[in-house]
Amino acid sequence: MSNIAICAKNLTRDFDTVRAVDSLSLEIPQGIVFGFLGPNGAGKTTTIRMLAALIAPSSGEATVAGLHLGRENRAIRQHVGVLTETPGLYKRLSAIDNLLFFAKLYGVPEPRKQAERYLQLFELWDRRDDLAGSFSKGMRQKLAIARAMLHEPQILFLDEPTASLDPEAAKVVRDLIETLRTKERTIFLCTHNLDEADRLCDRVALFNTRLVAIGPPQELKERLYGRRTVIHLADPHPGLEDALKLSFIKKIERLDNTLVVSLSDPERENPILVSRLVELGAKVQFVNELRVSLEDLYLDLMEENNAST
Amino acid sequence: MHRLNVILLKEWRESLRNKMILFGAIFLPLFMVGAAVVMVYQGRGIDVPGAQIALFNTALMYFLILPAVIPLAIAAYSIIGEKEQGSLEPLLATPISDLELFLGKALASVIPALILTWGSFGLFLGLSIPLVGGIPPHVLTPPWIAAIFGLAPLLSLFSVGVTMLVSSRASDARAAYQVSSLAILPGIVPLIIYSSKKTLVSLFLVGLEGAVLIVASIIVLYFAIKVFRREQILTRWK
Repeated sequence: MSNIAICAKNLTRDFDTVRAVDSLSLEIPQGIVFGFLGPNGAGKTTTIRMLAALIAPSSGEATVAGLHLGRENRAIRQHVGVLTETPGLYKRLSAIDNLLFFAKLYGVPEPRKQAERYLQLFELWDRRDDLAGSFSKGMRQKLAIARAMLHEPQILFLDEPTASLDPEAAKVVRDLIETLRTKERTIFLCTHNLDEADRLCDRVALFNTRLVAIGPPQELKERLYGRRTVIHLADPHPGLEDALKLSFIKKIERLDNTLVVSLSDPERENPILVSRLVELGAKVQFVNELRVSLEDLYLDLMEENNAST
Repeated sequence: MHRLNVILLKEWRESLRNKMILFGAIFLPLFMVGAAVVMVYQGRGIDVPGAQIALFNTALMYFLILPAVIPLAIAAYSIIGEKEQGSLEPLLATPISDLELFLGKALASVIPALILTWGSFGLFLGLSIPLVGGIPPHVLTPPWIAAIFGLAPLLSLFSVGVTMLVSSRASDARAAYQVSSLAILPGIVPLIIYSSKKTLVSLFLVGLEGAVLIVASIIVLYFAIKVFRREQILTRWK
């Protein structure tokens, strides 16, 4: 079997005159957490619905878990799990009855055993006979994730799994996502929480009806901002930037006692840079790598994208 | 077939925990049986031509209203309940087919309606026998049996089809229930005809109503199945 979990080519979806998803092409390898980031109304949920064989694309094609979208929709639904934006539990049914219902629909061989396994794993076993309607938001979300996992899907689509959860419940769900990451399972995570995406995702796609950027978060940051070293000096030392004269420095900026130096290979170049500064009489207090958050990257790229469209 | 059973059992489990549905499913049949028995009992001594026929026709109408009314609440709450809980999308994400889901929802309403209708009719007979000293006249005749066992399923199907269509556009179960209540009209129309003519229920009239209902049910179910597609549910339903 191919090690590509999802492959989409020019996937497009129109709703009457509105284009919700425009020519989306991407390849997602198996066994990674893939972050799908974008503003409200960007078409993220529509993309999940298409890839989970819930709605048909207007044009384009895709394979999901090696199966052709459109031709093998039922098989695709058997191989993927979907956590929708709202937990969508049956409030009048108990936690275990909710899981048993879905386990049977998915044709899980031993539904009760599997439901028990996930209730134990998600620490809901003690509340198994309580109505889902009596659960807190965090517990409902955990139960909904358990429901999406029952049939051991190869691909798990999570649409805003921590939205509307308090920080404590959000952390529980995030930790849970970490535990679900396996070699065989791909997690497609739609989220607004960029810090969450930065921490959980091996790769991210920035999406706003069209694909804006795709790649590992660190690689994207380096592609956009390069790698920068921040040097804090004890005193301003005027004219230091001009005196440095090192060919590998791409750009140097100053803010009071701080120098921000753009480099291409900081591991090799930082020791030379620091030696040169000391040689020139600068009193170096701290040397750090400038960490750009995914949020900065997201905001800059989206702004650029909005300006260009 | 397996998934259809799973849907049916889930629907019934949920319905049993819904007081509105439970109340309607228990109270209405008992009320109809009581009203029919009292009518038959009181009609014993009336010696006006056509009066007894009119009473029995009214009693029959009660048992033709039941199969149309009982599924209304079950189907309306079943679909709107899914909408309110946001549970339709996770359900549609399973390998269940659109037809299995539609049939599961429809049969979950039709089967209890028929069991309750026929059970009520049986209870009516059982209570009438000691009260009127035997099986009431005009009751276990071919037109009555054709009406109870032939028209009742058609009335239920028609009612479910109407409710499913209405529920796809509504977001409130009570509103859907009220609008769908129009589906009981086919159960009442024959009564108006029978009462005005004071005529016995005839096979011709039952057959005529059956034919009309078959056509109406096919039309309604065709559109209901059409709106009950994944794509429609996720993109067009309110």
